[in-house]
Amino acid sequence: MWLQANKKGEKMKLEKLNQINKQAALSASAALSKLIGQDVSISMATVEVKKVEEVKPLIGAEEIVAGIYLPVTGAVKGATLLVFPKDSTFILCDLMMKRPVGTTRKLTELDESALKEVGNILSGNYFTALGNKLQIKIIEHIPNFSFDMFGAMATQVTNQFALKTDEALVLQVHFKFRSKEITGYMLLLFELEQIEAIVSALEKV
Amino acid sequence: VNTEVKMGKVVVSNNGVCLSTTGVGSCLVITLFDPQARLGAMAHTMLPSGASHGVSHSTKYVDLAIDAMITQLEALGASTKNLEAKLVGGANMFPHDQEHDIGAENVAKAKKIFKKKGIQLIGEAVGGSHGRSVEFSVTSGGVTIKINI
Repeated sequence: MWLQANKKGEKMKLEKLNQINKQAALSASAALSKLIGQDVSISMATVEVKKVEEVKPLIGAEEIVAGIYLPVTGAVKGATLLVFPKDSTFILCDLMMKRPVGTTRKLTELDESALKEVGNILSGNYFTALGNKLQIKIIEHIPNFSFDMFGAMATQVTNQFALKTDEALVLQVHFKFRSKEITGYMLLLFELEQIEAIVSALEKV
Repeated sequence: VNTEVKMGKVVVSNNGVCLSTTGVGSCLVITLFDPQARLGAMAHTMLPSGASHGVSHSTKYVDLAIDAMITQLEALGASTKNLEAKLVGGANMFPHDQEHDIGAENVAKAKKIFKKKGIQLIGEAVGGSHGRSVEFSVTSGGVTIKINI
């Protein structure tokens, strides 16, 4: 395991990751507030680094979630999977589409597009903050969307990296709107060499 | 009795047991059943080939999992010539952006091995872009699939 909060020296790396989280959350809050025309406060907290096969227990494997998958290339090769539980997804869509909360019962193409944009904003700002901190260039690709069992999505994303690494960085993402609060998760996966390079670079900044 | 088969694992069992696994996407669930010996096995595999990556024991690979299932079933009294196979999963949850379709590769690998070993594939629910949960009755050999509609 490349980061453990209870190990000496690792706390500092987690603190540096949390600085990146804070910077990313601040920029993402501003971008999302502008997009939907109301104040939104986003916080991102590093939960832990888990073996990919242990990520599923955070949310039940059969639980229906919205998943926004976004691959990245450039100086690092990896991906993010942003996950919102079903009820949170519907509330988020209502708030973004300016409908009364409780309206959404089924996702439309427009809802999916709005959720992809949330993925773009969160992942984009995270990778910008990470890239700035490490002075590297990270290129984001087009987000993909699925509304299905969490386990099915998470394993597909992690399977792509299973040969090279077995760990993911898990962030909890919290949205505070005027009337509602929503929690989701963001899973970050990089190839093993990239993880080692990132950790090594974090030690130097 | 219901036994959960975790990702990357193989479980072999006998009459009266139900083997299950949940949230299957690109992973491939393989069931083998010997109706005469009333013995069955379920594997929840993740990737197609361990052999081609120099791995020889991990049952997260389709090829190595099938080998382990056959070895363990035969040790309990099953016969390879009696085995009936079913496949579930091998989906692509994000079909618009995949360098490789791991689900399809998993399915192709399993079918190739069955053909080589002369194991009859009697049922499959594979591909598409939705998750599945699977229950396998080792009493009847029946497989029940749950999807989100």
